[in-house]
Amino acid sequence: MIVKKENEYMLSKRFNKVLETELEADEDTLEALKQLSTFYSENTLPSRRDLRSKIEKRSLDININLLSSFSKVKDTFMSIYNDIVEMNRCVDEITCKLQNSKQRSKALLQQTSMLYSGRNKNTVYQKIVSPFLNKVQLSPDESLILYGNQRSSSLTHATFSVLDKIQQIHNYSRILMRCGLQTVALDTMEHMVLHQEEALENIYRWTQNHCRYVDNLELTELIANAMSKLQDRPPLFRYIIDEYCVGRRSILVSAFIDALTKGGPSGKPAPIEMKAHDIQIYVTDMFVWLYKAISVEQQNLLQMLKFCDNIDSDFILDTLIKVCDGICQPLKIRIEKVLGVPTQAVILYSVLNLLRYYKKCICKILPRGSLENTLVNLQNMGEQVFFTTLQQEINNMFIKIESPVRDLVPTPAIHNLLALLRDMLSTANMNDGREIDMKKITQYIIEPLLRCVNEQASHLPALDMSIYTVNCIYDIFTCLSMFEFMDEFLERLQAQADAQIDNLTAEQASFLVANLNIGPIYTILQDSQREPLSTIPGMEPSNLQKFFLKLEQFITSPELTLLPQFDLLLSSKYKRVVEKRSREVVLAIYTQLFEAVNNPQNQYENPSSLCHKTPDELKESILL
Amino acid sequence: MSAGPYNYSYIFKYIIIGDMGVGKSCLLHQFTEKKFMADCPHTIGVEFGTRIIEVSGQKIKLQIWDTAGQERFRAVTRSYYRGAAGALMVYDITRRSTYNHLSSWLTDTRNLTNPSTVIFLIGNKCDLDAQRDVTYEEASKFAEENGLMFVEASAKTGDNVEEAFLETAKKIYQSIQDGRLDLNAAESGVQHKPSQPGRNNLSNDQQGNKDNCAC
Ligand SMILES: Nc1nc2c(ncn2[C@@H]2O[C@H](COP(=O)(O)OP(=O)(O)O)[C@@H](O)[C@H]2O)c(=O)[nH]1
Ligand SMILES: [Mg+2]
Repeated sequence: MIVKKENEYMLSKRFNKVLETELEADEDTLEALKQLSTFYSENTLPSRRDLRSKIEKRSLDININLLSSFSKVKDTFMSIYNDIVEMNRCVDEITCKLQNSKQRSKALLQQTSMLYSGRNKNTVYQKIVSPFLNKVQLSPDESLILYGNQRSSSLTHATFSVLDKIQQIHNYSRILMRCGLQTVALDTMEHMVLHQEEALENIYRWTQNHCRYVDNLELTELIANAMSKLQDRPPLFRYIIDEYCVGRRSILVSAFIDALTKGGPSGKPAPIEMKAHDIQIYVTDMFVWLYKAISVEQQNLLQMLKFCDNIDSDFILDTLIKVCDGICQPLKIRIEKVLGVPTQAVILYSVLNLLRYYKKCICKILPRGSLENTLVNLQNMGEQVFFTTLQQEINNMFIKIESPVRDLVPTPAIHNLLALLRDMLSTANMNDGREIDMKKITQYIIEPLLRCVNEQASHLPALDMSIYTVNCIYDIFTCLSMFEFMDEFLERLQAQADAQIDNLTAEQASFLVANLNIGPIYTILQDSQREPLSTIPGMEPSNLQKFFLKLEQFITSPELTLLPQFDLLLSSKYKRVVEKRSREVVLAIYTQLFEAVNNPQNQYENPSSLCHKTPDELKESILL
Repeated sequence: MSAGPYNYSYIFKYIIIGDMGVGKSCLLHQFTEKKFMADCPHTIGVEFGTRIIEVSGQKIKLQIWDTAGQERFRAVTRSYYRGAAGALMVYDITRRSTYNHLSSWLTDTRNLTNPSTVIFLIGNKCDLDAQRDVTYEEASKFAEENGLMFVEASAKTGDNVEEAFLETAKKIYQSIQDGRLDLNAAESGVQHKPSQPGRNNLSNDQQGNKDNCAC
């Protein structure tokens, strides 16, 4: 029973289900039906019987279809799968490779960063080292400057900068040494020494060939620089200086000879010797040339050594002396020749002064040495020749001394000698050391001159002798007083004039006294034993009256009582002095007489009518 | 010389007289230059020399006329006596004749100079004692009798030369101090410095007080 029951139930249930089915709402069913419609077109029994198979068949078809489709899918899928597997393998491989390269790049990075920091370090090093190297090494350019032109034997200013640098490097090396960097320092030094030696050798050779052309403006600086470098090598330096002396000496001498004999370029200026006939011009030109040339030589030398710092003035002088050595002989010969020709003392004197002047000028540059020596000798010779000639000229003038003529003026011989003296002194006056000269010349001339005057005067009567002497002295005095340094002579002349004026005064006073006839009166007045004067013969009023009369005449025309020779006195001043002093004698006697007359003891009656002039009044009329 | 125009207070004028060849020029030279000039040329008329000396702290300039002994210059030399304050009268001790002429020189001097002129007798060449012709005593007596100062001197060795000139100056200076010598007299042979450069200076006329008569 149960199974039946269960069948029953199943059936019911299915029924139910079919019955319960709401077809319109079931989409699947709808769909299925729709599908069914497509192939189930007639509702017939066969059809109905067939339906099932038909459906099954149809389902099978679909499944086959599906299967084939799925197998396609499956194939496709499989190929995708394979691809993916392949891909996976590749990716794995890549991953592996990546892993590798990752590993490697890490090492690289590490290395790079190491290198990078190394590079930084090196850059810093380089920053430090390269200036250092610049400082302690020659650049290729510099080496080239030093060595490149070895053969061409030319020198440029660059050479000296390089040398300066070498020196600088030396100094640095010394600093390095002090800092304890001995190896570097010694190394550098050694290098530099080699460079330096080579460079100096070059400079030396060049300078040796060129030093004599120091006056060539293009070379001056180079030579000066070369000398300053060479001064650290005394032997080389000395060789150059020797070379220089020899070179310049011969240039100087031949230039001198040319100036004398050929003149300047194309004969302008004319050769100095063309004017040899006028010895003053000749000597002047010669010395002007020489002085200039020597100054130029001095300048050359100073230029050449201007950068040398341990050169003393003595060294320069010694060198200049050597350079100027050669001039001595040609100069000496010519000056000696000039002095050997007989010439007037005046001209010789101006030549002598030229000699002295240029000696002084040149000796300011060359205070010793052979040229100085030559000039001193020439000057001495000039002095000697001059004074000998002067003496000779003076002697010639005194060969015959004429006696003074009656007018008692200085004779021509005196005039000539004075003229000579004046000429000489005028020339001498322009010199520097003129005092000694002027005194010596004056001494030379004035001694014989005064002797001559004495000699001439000794042949004259006393009064004429005094006048002549005073006249000569006056002329000489006038001449000398125009010049300096003549005090000594003027004193002597003054003393001699004074002595003669005293004589003249005495003569004139005696003449006056005799003329006025006061001799006896004076004698009586001097007598000290006093009787009344009016009682003494010769002093009686009548006699005195005569004297006063004469005195009146004298007062009105005093010139009548002057010795006639006094007109011959050249100096009116002297004349006045003599007159005045002789009148003072008269005044003195008158004063005594006046006092005596007015002295009651002497018993003159009415003294004021006798002597109506007071001494002061007389003084006024004859002395003022 | 001439260091400052008047670095002295007085000028004394001297003359040196005596026969030719007694050594007058040599004495002057010895005194002014302190040198013996053996080959001294003959003096023509007069020669001149100066030197500044000191007496009692005063600087004195001596202006000395050395005269020629020759007779032919007598007129010339006489004209220098007038203004002399001191006269050095020289003889040669080796030549008696020069001594014998002294009285004539003395007369000349007395006549031509003023009374205050100091006369100093010098027996020169005393270095030549071996050739002596005049004894010291004799000359000394002569000097005393005539009121002269006296030394024997040698221009050659310089002995007593300085003394003769200086003693004379001292005596003159004494006369000035005593007032025996009138400085204002033109012929006193003494000038007071530094008032004027010279009495008759050519460039400077001046007043000279003259109180002397030639009669
Ligand atoms: N032995 C010697 N000789 C003298 C002395 N003084 C002068 N003489 C020489 O005597 C000569 C004449 O001298 P000098 O002065 O010219 O005499 P003056 O004529 O009086 O000027 C010269 O040759 C002098 O050398 C002296 O003191 N002793
Ligand atoms: Mg004499």
